[in-house]
Order: sequence, then C-alpha cells, then structure tokens
Amino acid sequence: MSQRTERRGIHVDQSDLLCKKGCGYYGNAAWQGLCSKCWREEYQRVRQKQIQDDWALAEKLQREEEAAYASSHGAQTHPQSAAPAPQPQGAPGHASLGPFSKFEEKKTNEKTRKVTTVKKFFSPSSRTAPKKETQEGKTPSPSISRHASFDTDQVSKDFVEFLKNLQKPGREIHKQCRTFIMNMSSKKDLGADELSECVQDFYQNMADRLMSHFKGSSESVEQVMDQVEKYIMSRLYKSVFCPETTDDEKKDLATQKRIRALHWVTIQMLCVSMDEEIPEVSENVVKAITDIIEIDSKRVPRDKLRCITSCSKNIFSAIRITKNEPASADDFLPALIYIVLKANPPRLQSNIQYITRFCNPSRLMTGEDGYYFTNLCCAAAFIEKLDAQSLNLSPEEFERYMSGQASPRFNSSEVDWPQTGPAPGVAPANPVLAQLNHNLELLSGLSSRQETLMEAAQSLQADLLSWPEGVQREVQDILEKYPLEILPRTASAIDANNIDNDNLPPPLTPQVFAG
Amino acid sequence: MSAMRVDAKVVMLGKESVGKTSLVERYVHHRFLVGPYQNTIGAAFVAKPIQVGEKVITLGIWDTAGSERYEAMSRIYYRGARAAIVCYDLTDSSSFQRARFWVKELQNCEEHCKIYLCGTKNDLVEADRSIRQIDYHDAQDFAEEIGAQHFETSSKTGNNVDDLFQKVAEDYNSTAFQYMTAEETGVDLGQKKDSYFYSCCHNN
Ligand SMILES: Nc1nc2c(ncn2[C@@H]2O[C@H](COP(=O)(O)OP(=O)(O)O)[C@@H](O)[C@H]2O)c(=O)[nH]1
Ligand SMILES: [Mg+2]
Ligand SMILES: [Zn+2]
Repeated sequence: MSQRTERRGIHVDQSDLLCKKGCGYYGNAAWQGLCSKCWREEYQRVRQKQIQDDWALAEKLQREEEAAYASSHGAQTHPQSAAPAPQPQGAPGHASLGPFSKFEEKKTNEKTRKVTTVKKFFSPSSRTAPKKETQEGKTPSPSISRHASFDTDQVSKDFVEFLKNLQKPGREIHKQCRTFIMNMSSKKDLGADELSECVQDFYQNMADRLMSHFKGSSESVEQVMDQVEKYIMSRLYKSVFCPETTDDEKKDLATQKRIRALHWVTIQMLCVSMDEEIPEVSENVVKAITDIIEIDSKRVPRDKLRCITSCSKNIFSAIRITKNEPASADDFLPALIYIVLKANPPRLQSNIQYITRFCNPSRLMTGEDGYYFTNLCCAAAFIEKLDAQSLNLSPEEFERYMSGQASPRFNSSEVDWPQTGPAPGVAPANPVLAQLNHNLELLSGLSSRQETLMEAAQSLQADLLSWPEGVQREVQDILEKYPLEILPRTASAIDANNIDNDNLPPPLTPQVFAG
Repeated sequence: MSAMRVDAKVVMLGKESVGKTSLVERYVHHRFLVGPYQNTIGAAFVAKPIQVGEKVITLGIWDTAGSERYEAMSRIYYRGARAAIVCYDLTDSSSFQRARFWVKELQNCEEHCKIYLCGTKNDLVEADRSIRQIDYHDAQDFAEEIGAQHFETSSKTGNNVDDLFQKVAEDYNSTAFQYMTAEETGVDLGQKKDSYFYSCCHNN
C-alpha cells in the first residue's frame, strides 16, 4: 500500500509516471502506481480471494442457520413429519417449493431467447477496443480493504437474517443467489450487455417464482426482490461496475470535461426557477448536490436510485419555496440539469449505466424512483448535446463562451460554478473573478473596521493608564487642602487599665449582711 | 420512504401548453386551476390507483417538460411506457401536427405502448365553434388508422377526463390478463418480458 504522494516537485522522473509493472502505460496513484489494466489484474486476484472468503462465510452462516432451524423445530416436530419439510405453525404455504425446484431448468431454457435491453438506448456502442489508460479523473474502485469485506459480510448476514422469516423457501432463495453469484464469477469475460442479461434473467426468474409462491402478492415479491438485489449486487459490484469491456470510463471523463467546459452556463440561461438568495432554497440546493454526488458511493442499484430520488425531492422543495407554488415537470428538468452542472457528479455515466443494467426493472421502469432516474438520464443527454439553441444563445455567443473568450454578464447571486484550470483571457465578468472581487471588497472593509477598532482600543488603553494618575492627583490635592492635624487626646478611655484611675470612684466593695 | 407500487407507466406527450399538466391535475385532484397550481405537492409524477372491476390498477402518470428544447430527450421519457396520452389542442392545428409526430415516434420505438389521442380544451370549442381547428372526424380517422383510442376532453369542466384514464387502466388490465393466461398455458414467455421490462430504442 505504498502510495507515492510526494510528487510535488517540478522535476518528475518519467519513470515515476509509468506503470510499476513496467508495461509501458502510465500509472496512476489511485491505482497504486499501476495502469488501469495491471490494476485490474492485480485487483482481480485479491477479489477472487475475497469471493472465496465470502463463500466460506456464507456457507458457515447457512450451516448455522440450518442448525438453528433444526434445533428449534426438531424438538417440536411430530414423528410423521420427519420425511417432508417441517411445516411450522402459523406460517402457511411454505411447503410450496415446487416452483423453485424447476428454477435452473427454466433458466437454461430461457437462455436461448433473444433479449433486447433498455440500456442499449444509452450505450449505442457499449463495446470498444481495450482502451488507452487515462491519467486523470477516475476515482479508484473502492479499495479492497477490510472495511469493504466487512460490508459484504454484513450484507450476507442481513440477507440470511431476512430469509429466515421465509423458512424453507428462504433457504432455497439463498442457495439460488449463491449459485448465481458463483456462476457470474466464472463469466467475468462477458460483455456488459451479457452480464446485464444474466442478472436481469435471474431477477425475472426469481420474481416469477416468488410471484407464484406468494400467490400474486406483488408487495411481498418486491420486498424479497429488494433483498435479493442488495445481496447479489453488493457482491458483483466490483466486477460489473464500469467494466473494462465498455467505454463507460471514457464517457465519464468526457462528461466531466464537458461539464467543466460549461462552467459559464447561468441559472437564467436554463430558465431555472430556484432563487438561491433565499437561505432555505440554497440549503435545499446544497442537499441536492450532496445527494447527487453520493450516488457514486453506493453499491446497490436501489441505493443509488434512492440518492437520485432524494436529490429530486430537494429540488422540488427548492422550486416550491422559490415560486411559492408546486413544481411541475417544466420546472423540474431544468433545475436538475442545473444541479448536475453544479455538482459535476463523479462517474455519472458509469452510474447511469450500472443502474440501467442491474437495477430490478420493476423499480426502474414504472415507479417514482424511475421517474427521477429517467429525468437524470435526460439531464445527462441534454448536457451532452447542449448547443447554442438549447440555451437561446446565438452560435457566436455560444462559441465565445465555450472558448473562454467571453463570459456572460455575471449576476453576483450565482456563484461557484465548478471551474477548474485557468481559463485564458477571461473577462472580469467571470463568476469566479467576480466572487474574488467581492471577497476582496469584504476583506478591505473588514480591515478598515479593524483599524477603527484598534484605534478605539488604544485610546481606551491611554484612558486606563491616565486614570490612576488622575485619581492620585486628586487625592494629593485634597490632602494638601486638608492637611492632617493630630490633636491632643482629651477623651478618657474607659477600658484602658492604668489611665486616670484617680478620677474614678473607688470600686464597689461587697457589703456583708448579717443574718 | 417506500414509494407506491406502480403497475403501469403512462406518459403525457404533446406540444407545450396543450394542457397535459391540466389534464393530470383535473384527473388526480378533480380540479381545474387557471394560472398557478396552488396547493399541489408537485405534479410531475403521480401514482393513481384506479378501480377496475375487482382489481385496483395503479397508474404511474409521467408528466413531461413541455419546452421544445427538451424534445430531443423525450425518447428517454417514454421508453417502457404501457400507454401514452398524446395531447393536442382543439384550437391549435400546429399542435395536431406535433401529435402526429409523437405517434410516429411511438410506433417506431415503443411497439408495446398503447396510444390515446386526446383533443384538449373542448370547453373552448363548445363555447365558440368557430375556433375549432381540428375536425372531430379527421382526428377520429387518424386514430383508427393508427389503432388508437380517441377522446376529446376538457380539464376545465372535467368532461371525458375520467373516462380517458379509466379506459387506460381497463386496457392495461386486460392486456396484463392476456399475458398472464399466456404464461399459464406456457406460451410466449419471452414476449411478456420483452414488453414489460425491455424495450429498445437504439435506432437513434
Ligand atoms: N379552457 C381550457 N383551458 C385549458 C384546458 N386545459 C389547459 N388549459 C389552459 O392551457 C394552458 C396550458 O396548460 P398546461 O396544462 O400548463 O399545458 P402543458 O404545457 O401541456 O402542461 C393553461 O393556461 C391552462 O389553464 C382546458 O381544458 N380548457
Ligand atoms: Mg405542463
Ligand atoms: Zn501496466
């Protein structure tokens, strides 16, 4: 884990930049000095081991679970029910295992069927030749740390815990999932589309089985399917997120650059009805940005979707507060585009692709989460295709802004567009410069106020110093005016023992009475 | 934060200000509001349960951004939709041209999406026949040609609005039933899957 972070000097040895494996490509600190190809190979090895560890754990959990099950039910099982699966009281219908047993069979039957998938819409060319290494931008896949494997352990435990409630079918589900993950790990050479197809087939089959098991209760099916997705995808995540067989990574970089190049786009050009001067609105905007950035940190497609939904809800409140009326579809999309431009979320394309490929489709296609996700896809597509017309600008204006020769007049309320790298020849209207000037003004105001304060403090100090002198002088004056005269003492002091004893009457003597 | 389960996706399509948002608003909240839509929570996505016979079908109604600048993106919106309500304004012939365009798009890209052709603002043409620009029979002929249902609605009076959405829900229910019986007899599983989850639109 020796990361070379001390690459600060101006002189960088060329060899420092190259892949440590010596393959000739450039390396990257994020990949521990390797190029992306060597990093992947290295990483596959470690991952393989982790998968094995996970299996061991899953097996162990499974055994424990079965033992627990046997001991809790074995005691109260009637002798005649020893042969069939023990049927717990109060949980009817759990013996209907028929559908599950044909699972594999059906799966293979369906395998031959041609499937066209939605994600093709987003990736007209999802397979490309092995790509050149890129030296910037990409965040590494989450490191193979103990922490990550702890997470998957936890997911396994939660999954087993959840399935316990389903009794025997739960075990069957667990087994199917494990077998599936096992099969998938032997298919890592498949293209992204095929991987997606495998996962989608699995979801579909599982949902069909569950549907007949729960006798058509879609609610229950969806509940189980959510857990299945969570379990499977937290395990497959590393191998299927932004896979090498696609150009996802390239697209991520392109989108990132594109958003940077569009730093000059203002909220007015997009006709967004969000007024960030209102503190509540700007708070919502910040939350929305945080949410959209957080997508990349989640592994399970549904968790990623949740981030998008949360982001969207924050946008809706921002619009509602600004307009003092509910947001419509007309307000929402431009606002979301604005948020995407402002956030420049990491690996946006990879995340969209990953969700499209591996999310449980019933969530993605119809429900509310799906609506927001679709809007995010639109926002990404809009940004990609954005031209002069889409912003109501003349082509010349658009060109000048894109090349950095000019900048739209800047209104001080819109600040901090993501801008990186110096744009040559920027006019002072550049938002960042304007912000800088504004800050300078504030600073000079502050410094003059500080000077005033300093002066006041000094005069206070002088006052404090002169005060005792004044007091002393006054005391002196008074002392001079009324000098101290010590007069001879005339009064007698009763308590003094030996003064003026003679003037006193003789002490009383006790009188003695006889009788 | 579990969102409501939705059975079918229904998209609203049509030129800007033909009355898509008003139609949803009228149907879901039983009202028509001129100008700002006060008191709504936000009218971009609505999940609306509808009673169909013994069953309850929940439609997820997707309103779309009207501005033409987002038109290029609308294919992303309607993918996977089971129904599309293509709106045109009875008093604006250009909106009918746009409707024709949407229909063609849907026919090319979403073969499993049922089309409902909807002439809006019927109250206006009833008040003044001279402002009608789209003849009822012309639209009806077009609907028949493309195998679509045809409605003329008014969000202001509520005329025909419930019927339209009720029809959407009923049609969905009967097609869903067809798929189910198909599955029971072991026929054409692939098609069900194709239609429901997978749709293609890569002839971009
Ligand atoms: N008279 C009348 N006006 C309508 C009707 N439907 C919509 N409008 C008006 O048409 C305008 C555009 O409606 P809107 O629903 O926002 O259209 P959208 O852009 O398609 O969502 C609004 O001013 C509505 O009040 C209707 O049925 N009758
Ligand atoms: Mg609208
Ligand atoms: Zn290398």
